[in-house]
Amino acid sequence: MAEVLDVSALDADGRKALERLILSLADSKRLMGIRYSDWLLGAPSIETGIATSSMAQDEWGHARLVYAMLKELDIDPVAVEHDRAPQEYASIGALDEEMPDWAALVAAMVLVDGALTTALASFAEGTLESARGRVPKMLAEEEFHASLGAAWYRRLARSEGDARRLLVAATEAMLPDVLAWLGADDAPARAMVEAGVIGPADDLLADFRARVRDIVALADIDVDAATAADAWDEARGRTPGHPDEHAVERVRGDKNRALFVE
Amino acid sequence: MLEKVYDVFARKDRGDQLVHIGYVDAMDDETAKVHAWTTYDEERWFEMCVVERTAIVPVNRDDGPFAKAQRAADHG
Repeated sequence: MAEVLDVSALDADGRKALERLILSLADSKRLMGIRYSDWLLGAPSIETGIATSSMAQDEWGHARLVYAMLKELDIDPVAVEHDRAPQEYASIGALDEEMPDWAALVAAMVLVDGALTTALASFAEGTLESARGRVPKMLAEEEFHASLGAAWYRRLARSEGDARRLLVAATEAMLPDVLAWLGADDAPARAMVEAGVIGPADDLLADFRARVRDIVALADIDVDAATAADAWDEARGRTPGHPDEHAVERVRGDKNRALFVE
Repeated sequence: MLEKVYDVFARKDRGDQLVHIGYVDAMDDETAKVHAWTTYDEERWFEMCVVERTAIVPVNRDDGPFAKAQRAADHG
């Protein structure tokens, strides 16, 4: 087991890099939960809707736990959760828009949730003590997400007509964002690798490709041939763009807080 | 939907009886596990398992859901 990171010993760039990593993971978890929640009532069966609801709750719980890691940097997670504009979100670009159909949500289950799990598995083995303690339970819960995603992906990929076509389109649309996010190799990403907080980009990409290779091959997609998006926003550690305003209103809980009675 | 019925069994604590708590529709064993775990989550189960209904052999009744499932499976 690697030694524990002394967060107080990080320089300004190191602190900024850790903040970016935590925000990137937590924002992606929060948005993933929103995208699952969009399908609570539209899933193909009651059981699938219940599973989607459960996964949304898992993601929001995971996000809350990851946001709380910001305290180690003396950043108030409550303000971060509730006061940011969409342009400040560091979530994976593939989650920016509402999933237009069930096939797109299935692709996100496999690719986006899969990429998050890949990153978190590495984060859990790194030097940040809070990640070692909190992330393993998340990974156990994610096993159910992976099972459901793989089962639905197989089913849609083997179908004929629209379902398969939509699945292929969603997979091809999401992969560049996901590969860019997971394969980030800029200065902040390298600082985190050097500090032992997370593994190198090449390792993360190799793990992710191994995880999804056989699944997406069912849709005749070669994950080894897929390429990452070129454009990059180093400040947030994601591709340019941001989640839609409506999703962020829900992420922040604006409506809930409007009902608060002090 | 080409889904199968799975019966769900669980025990709350180690040493408790394994009891039938319900059923779920699912595509396959893996999905059945997810559906069962997320649908019957009102307890912190010590153990849960699912059985495809057609795998249950009825012993003394031929008019119950298990016998009907077997007949349906036998007739393809």
